[in-house]
Amino acid sequence: MTAEVSSALACSSCGAELATPLLCERCGALHEPAGAPTPFAALGLEPAYALDLATVRRRLLSLSRALHPDHHFSADARTRRLAQDNTAALNAAFLVLNDDCRRADWLVSALGGPRESDERAMPPAFLQEVLEWNEAIEEARDATPAARATALASLRTRLAHERTLAVQRVAHALTPLPARATPALHGVRQELNALRYLDRALRELAELELGAPH
Amino acid sequence: MPFLELDVLNAPERTTLGIDLGTTYSLVALWRDGRPLVLRPKGRPDGRIPSVIHFPKSGAPLVGWPARDRAASDPGATLFSVKRFMGRGLADARTDLASVPFAASQTDNGVIQFAAQGRKWTPQELSALILTEVWRTASEALGEDAPRRAVITVPAYFDEAQRAATRDAARLANLEVARIVNEPTAASLAYGLEQRREGIVAVYDFGGGTFDVSILAIEGGIFRVLATAGDTHLGGDDLDRALVALALAEARPGAELEQDPAFLQGLRLSAERCKIELSTRPEAELHVAVPEKRFVWRRMITRAEFEQAIQPFLERTLQCCARARHDAGLAAREIDEVVLVGGSTRIPRVRAEVERLFGRTPHCELNPDEVVAMGAAVQGHVLGGGTRELLLLDVTPLALGLETMGGAVSKIVLRNAPIPCLVTETFTTYADDQTGIDFHVVQGERELARDCRTLGRFKLRGIPPLPAGMARVAVRFALDADGLLSVSAREQSTGAEASIEVQPMNGLTDAEVERMLKESYAHAREDFDQSRLANLRVELGTMLRAIEKNLPAARAGLDRETLGELEEAVRRAHAAEQAPDVAAVQVARDELERAALPLAAVLMDSVAKAALAGRKLSEV
Repeated sequence: MTAEVSSALACSSCGAELATPLLCERCGALHEPAGAPTPFAALGLEPAYALDLATVRRRLLSLSRALHPDHHFSADARTRRLAQDNTAALNAAFLVLNDDCRRADWLVSALGGPRESDERAMPPAFLQEVLEWNEAIEEARDATPAARATALASLRTRLAHERTLAVQRVAHALTPLPARATPALHGVRQELNALRYLDRALRELAELELGAPH
Repeated sequence: MPFLELDVLNAPERTTLGIDLGTTYSLVALWRDGRPLVLRPKGRPDGRIPSVIHFPKSGAPLVGWPARDRAASDPGATLFSVKRFMGRGLADARTDLASVPFAASQTDNGVIQFAAQGRKWTPQELSALILTEVWRTASEALGEDAPRRAVITVPAYFDEAQRAATRDAARLANLEVARIVNEPTAASLAYGLEQRREGIVAVYDFGGGTFDVSILAIEGGIFRVLATAGDTHLGGDDLDRALVALALAEARPGAELEQDPAFLQGLRLSAERCKIELSTRPEAELHVAVPEKRFVWRRMITRAEFEQAIQPFLERTLQCCARARHDAGLAAREIDEVVLVGGSTRIPRVRAEVERLFGRTPHCELNPDEVVAMGAAVQGHVLGGGTRELLLLDVTPLALGLETMGGAVSKIVLRNAPIPCLVTETFTTYADDQTGIDFHVVQGERELARDCRTLGRFKLRGIPPLPAGMARVAVRFALDADGLLSVSAREQSTGAEASIEVQPMNGLTDAEVERMLKESYAHAREDFDQSRLANLRVELGTMLRAIEKNLPAARAGLDRETLGELEEAVRRAHAAEQAPDVAAVQVARDELERAALPLAAVLMDSVAKAALAGRKLSEV
């Protein structure tokens, strides 16, 4: 968690300090990152759970403008490759940082916490709750359109509320970032796994309401 | 960033065509004098090129207007909507094949082939014919060879196989694909919406054969696609078919005619005319006649009837809109602007439904048939280094993943992920001492691999014998800026590697593309004739313009006989301008040149006199 930000790299073209290993924002030179940068490093941000998403978005846009293959279309082969690869890395980083759960998931793993697959067991009470949602969804599936709409809307409100609470608990546990491999990370991982169930149910609800993509 | 500015100044802009390769019409534009310009040959204010191919009994296939003109009289030899077959196999395309008057088969890799003129044509080759005609049209409009480099648009909801097929078609047409761009995103560029500093825009693109909706956030000249949804089998064609179904139900032409592709195509053309008229009139006639079968049927269709017939299709587009909005995480009121694209958005009912859904009066200032090509030209300008003010950040429309044990799909790249994109995920073995893994790469939103589209299969060998779950295999999905995928896998302890350039099912292999290119060299004579023809037409057009410009002034200097000959030659030249064979155009050109010689002499004379007038003899 420490290496990526503290080792301030310098631009090989102009000597300026690099905020991101992907390019120099002063002189515009594209760089080959030594190894895949972390999502935070790619966007040149300090690792933290609490992020201002508007800042994350502005970083994406400003770095995209300098990196994107469309703006290096006539450059030499190496620059074109770097534009493509580094933009891909930037986009992948944005996907992680812009999403509450994915950002938390990345931080828990990076802090040496359990991975998703290491924390399979969910509390029985929670699993009972999941069963209830699923039943409610199945019932709604077969209901008349009007009854279905009401049932889905009420379930969605309930799940969205639970989701908000779970995200708040995750945010609380990860702010400020806890010490490496602290046991508290197990609790966060469990919350994140529960969030997966929630998101899956919310996705199913949306697909019932909006029609599934094909 | 002063460095970057210099970079721009130093690199001369290489021009790039913007091509909208549409289901029913194609169009080409180019960035000129600070704006995107639709290329229209002189005397053709409608720049559209019908995406229609006609196979005459002998000679080269006709493409565009000449093909469309023959469709009514010879529907059995005319092919429409080839785009519907791009990247598709026979099984996918059954309903579309019903109205195709050619026998269809497929290659080993599942590429459809149509039998015409004693050979087989893949959709890629047929699309290449259209692209070649597009390029010729561009050259004719420019009066010189058009650039060979092009931005080509595809429906946002096109999958890998369809994108790869489009790229291959361009290669076969001898075009360099600078970028494959999504149609709705291109359209948003044409509208110059970057003028608005910040905002959310929905692009509703209802074309001839496909429907897309994209939701974009615009900020500081950057167009970022938040979500896209669509249906690659939903377009104006379907609305025509709704009228066809209505006609068949009432006219009852009998089983024989109902199975006759030529009859169906004739009926479809009539339905299309009726549909277009209904956009401006409360009712229009739908009619079909087969004189040799003594079958005639006609009836007035009211707008209300038409609207009822097409409502199910409109509902499907609205459902896509709702999903895109949901995926973008936005409420309807958060959308600031709505842009209409595609000919089907001329239908008043479509406009009304879109307005109702978004609560906004949609933009339709630009010709909905032309915005996509114009946007492609803007993107060509960006790629050529013409501006750094604009940038398009697009997404992939459908999830990409791997089949896991039990036939489920592990999604690696989710839909609406920004491109280019690189995602690496680690997989492991499921059996002790397993030394290889079979990868099945799929695309689609469904949970089971068998419900998704297969993009390819490959095998990783050389995994060291380890207990189940111990090996670590990193699988890398890389999507490039055109949205095309490559996949590789690497075992981490031994470094064993395997990768595929994804060559989707229903796609051409590189070897096939090579072979087709070779064959087209074999047809080089024909191609040469075609390009000679294009050049002759341009030459003839230039001569005609010059003559028509100068004749009024020089008329007095010509005797009656000469004048008559010249006027006759001009008349013939006009008639020959669109003649399909080189010889006819050549004769007209030569005749015109001969007949114009006296005119040239008179002009030379008057120029010389003008030059001499007012000068003293000593100065000459």
